[in-house]
Amino acid sequence: MSREAEPPMAPGVGVARVEHFATVEQQRHAAVLGIWAWLVTELLLFSALFLVALVLRLQHPEAVKAAALHLKFWIGAVNTVVLICSSLTMSMAIAFSRMGWQRAMVRAMLATAALGSLFLVLKGYEYYADYEEHMMPFLALRPYALAETPASRLFVNLYYVATSLHGLHLFTGISILLGMTWMAAKPGFLARHQNWIEVYGLYWHFIDLIWILAFPILYVVNR
Amino acid sequence: MSGTSAIESGFAEREPHIPEPTLDRPIDYLHAQSTLRSWFLATDHKRIAILYLASITAFFIIGAVAAGIVRLALVVPDGAILTNDTYNKAFTIHGVVMVWFFLIPSIPATFGNFLIPLMIGAKDLAFPKLNLTSWYIFMAGALFTMVSVVLGGVDTGWTFYAPLSTAFSNSWVLPALIGVTIVGFSSILTGLNFVVTIHTMRTPGMTWFRLPIFVWAHYATSLIFLLATPVITTALILLILERAFHIGVFDPAYGGDPVLFQHLFWFYSHPAVYIMVLPGMGVISEIVPAFAQKKLFGYRFVAYASIGLASVTFFVWGHHMFVNGQSDLASLAFSALSFAVAVPSAVKVYNWTATIHKGRIRLDTPMLYAMGYIGLFVLGGLTGLYLATLAINQHIHATYFVVAHFHYIMVGGTVLAFLGGLHFWWPKFTGRMYNEAWGRISALFIFIGFNVTFFPQFILGYLGMPRRYGTYPPEFQLLNVLSSAGATILAAGYLFPMVYLLYSLWFGRRAPANPWDAKGLEWETASPPPPHNFLSLPEVPRVPYDYPIQERESGRQHT
Amino acid sequence: MSPHQSALELWPASASAVAVETDYLILAFTVLTLVLTVPVFLGITYFAIRYRDGVEADRDTSGLRSNLIEISWMLIPFLLTLIFFAWGARLFIISKNPPADTMVIEAIGRQWMWKFQHPTGQSEINDLHLPVGQPIKIRIISQDVIHALYLPALRVQMAALPDRYTELWFKADRTGTFRLYCSEYCGSDHSVMDGNLTLMTQSDYQHWLTHSGAQITAVAAGRAIYNAYGCGACHDARAQVKAPKLAGLFGRPVKLADGRTVTADENYLREKILNPNGNRLAEGYKQIMPSFAGVIPADDLGRLIDYLKADTQTADGEATR
Repeated sequence: MSREAEPPMAPGVGVARVEHFATVEQQRHAAVLGIWAWLVTELLLFSALFLVALVLRLQHPEAVKAAALHLKFWIGAVNTVVLICSSLTMSMAIAFSRMGWQRAMVRAMLATAALGSLFLVLKGYEYYADYEEHMMPFLALRPYALAETPASRLFVNLYYVATSLHGLHLFTGISILLGMTWMAAKPGFLARHQNWIEVYGLYWHFIDLIWILAFPILYVVNR
Repeated sequence: MSGTSAIESGFAEREPHIPEPTLDRPIDYLHAQSTLRSWFLATDHKRIAILYLASITAFFIIGAVAAGIVRLALVVPDGAILTNDTYNKAFTIHGVVMVWFFLIPSIPATFGNFLIPLMIGAKDLAFPKLNLTSWYIFMAGALFTMVSVVLGGVDTGWTFYAPLSTAFSNSWVLPALIGVTIVGFSSILTGLNFVVTIHTMRTPGMTWFRLPIFVWAHYATSLIFLLATPVITTALILLILERAFHIGVFDPAYGGDPVLFQHLFWFYSHPAVYIMVLPGMGVISEIVPAFAQKKLFGYRFVAYASIGLASVTFFVWGHHMFVNGQSDLASLAFSALSFAVAVPSAVKVYNWTATIHKGRIRLDTPMLYAMGYIGLFVLGGLTGLYLATLAINQHIHATYFVVAHFHYIMVGGTVLAFLGGLHFWWPKFTGRMYNEAWGRISALFIFIGFNVTFFPQFILGYLGMPRRYGTYPPEFQLLNVLSSAGATILAAGYLFPMVYLLYSLWFGRRAPANPWDAKGLEWETASPPPPHNFLSLPEVPRVPYDYPIQERESGRQHT
Repeated sequence: MSPHQSALELWPASASAVAVETDYLILAFTVLTLVLTVPVFLGITYFAIRYRDGVEADRDTSGLRSNLIEISWMLIPFLLTLIFFAWGARLFIISKNPPADTMVIEAIGRQWMWKFQHPTGQSEINDLHLPVGQPIKIRIISQDVIHALYLPALRVQMAALPDRYTELWFKADRTGTFRLYCSEYCGSDHSVMDGNLTLMTQSDYQHWLTHSGAQITAVAAGRAIYNAYGCGACHDARAQVKAPKLAGLFGRPVKLADGRTVTADENYLREKILNPNGNRLAEGYKQIMPSFAGVIPADDLGRLIDYLKADTQTADGEATR
């Protein structure tokens, strides 16, 4: 088993050992392995959903195509860019944390949270536009616009399941990020919990990755 | 045995003012703190294990009562005792509670939680707070499911097949589904904790091939938790949305496919069988060497087999769907793969048999359970091959043969391993010895009761009695009555341990650190262990299972 | 006519060559199971006694080459069982490839009854009459949830799916009456979704088709529908719900809540089933029955009314099933 080399740390930056770990080294390793295991699990959770969407696409290509044309491609594309930018700011936050630049790190984290929120706002606007277009088949009071192709209804529903599950992850992510930013702004944070930033960064990149998978599978492939 | 023979009134005298911990009289984890709060906010893996033990015992009782109702109803063929709807709810509750709330968490969440850190020489699991969170998630899921039971029950069977569960059942399906979905997260987090702990927390010198098989088995189990559970979570979320909002995924009217749910369901639920089986194998691999005082035969094979089984088991789910309109080619492939996974797992019993050969055998209670396990598990495994054989499956699919087969695996396998392990480590958990004579008697009751209950069901299945039938043709009555009679013996066998184990908590003899002369780090600390497990870092034995009788390894030059 | 068997039977009746061969397969497999397990049972028992603690015994292990043993006891049983995989697969492939000259029966499953239709148009509910010596293919579909048609005497079963046809075929060679079941759990009355499979000679079958076929089974079919829609839960003589008892009702005068008196003829029954909320409430009862319009197909409704008519002759006895 090879342990990855420690990234270079500025003096005064590090991790305080929790009692039940033998060494700081062990503690860091456990945290990183833990988040990776969690992300693998999450990836499988979404994969099953994407798999169902692809099976549907194979079984009913026409209906899926008809429905996908009504998705707001450009909002999805802009949102992709927004999330990629947020991954960039998150990476900057990690780099700053290693260098011990606490204030810059906090700003990068706030920028990340802002970009994440922008994504949610745009997504919310997209949902609103869908609502206006009678594209919410689960609403009994609003007749579905594409009722003549029944399988399209299923595809649109899956689109909501996948994107709202992703949105839920993002919302949780932003909440945790803001909470952590509040704690990270206090003095001494980097000396005790630098690895929180690293571990959290992996989760944020993962949320980004899921969107980068969802966008082509839902919006692009079916056009 | 502790030096003082005077009976101490356990909890009362062990208040905080206790002298410095020493090896013969440490402050143990049970008495380190005694408030209710210290239990419900415990992060000590040993205390969380006890929380789990208490909860799954409660669920076992609920599931067993439901089973009793089912067996009672089947005494008569015409359904005179229960209406069809009540019968359907009884077997559904039995299945849901036993599978999701007893079997899956049983050995990992209790013994795994308690013993993995002890066995690898760690102070705790890697993420103690996460461990407590898992328990709360488990209880939240249990709460939802119990709400559904209290409101009136579910009648879909534990498999929740669409479209019965989504569009046709008039029972409380939603809370039960939500409960089962939530419980999945508890499994995932437990598995995650174990994987990380086994990877990173081993004490210096504890290399992978010095780990006990129990730890190997839990490592394999945890991989299944991590890789299979998310898929059923997605499937269940879709099922919930389908039932609540009719999104159409499993509804043919909207181009959905009800069989798709079965694929997603069995992609998890077949590996879930190994979630139940592998930890049991781990337990037996600890008990047999200890009571034979002999090294486990073929340690490396058993270790590799655990990982191998956990991998292959992901590719056999289709054998649950031979008669569900699946393509013939797929059926052939799934049948062949099932043979590949079933035979190696069933023949693991040869390893334990070979371990007993020329050992120094003590037939104490845990060993009796282990021997029962060996006999029943091999039968359960091989009857699984009948079901994997395509032509036979076309006849006995969804009959009582299936019921008998999986009870041989899950009761004959997992439950016996659970009870064996419970007796084996009871002194370690509680610091008390139970009454050995009662232990042996109840093991005998369970073995006999189990076989009388379930062997007739193999015959019923081959005769063609479908499962999940509240009424049945009169020619099947005799075997059903026999089965129900066996169930009463089995019930008595389950009741005894609940009584004498509880009794031992207050009146049992104090247990020494290592009552069985067993090897393994968990026996090198006090019974019960102190809060951080070891007072000084344990030394790691050169090889695992270094019992007095060793197989001369002429095979060593190969390794 | 019901398939009567003795109180304790240890081997199921078989009615086709494939069924007989399946029995040989399972018997042979059982022999192999015994070969693989009995040594384990005897072994652990013998070792536990022979080498128990405190008994003098030779405990000097003989330097076994454990790798070789491990591999052999894994591979040999595996290879042995592969014979059975191949045998089972062969039978399976036969069962999936019907010959060209099959007679096709349509089967429809719904909660909780089977409908079978013969190629000549006659249909039956829950019971199925078929000729021997003739390959028969059953095309199966479901109207609601997933069911499965299981014919134990022929050792076959196949799911009834709501969205596509499935098939099973067999060639029976023994006459007699056997059970048929639904084997996929389908809700409340899953266990009464069963019936009789009657296998008869070609000439008997032709006779049955032309004579008894349609008429005799009409009432039985109606009774199955009466049970399938759960009518008896309220209308049986022993039912708890306060609802008019239907046994012997047909042709009698009924006093209505608004004071009129009408005769319970076919139209009255039809109207009451499809539109119970109309102005024809019987005196002394509350309006609690749901409407079956759009729920019960026209042909089923006809059979149900036939049954209620026939029930007048047999009076109370029948209604309690």
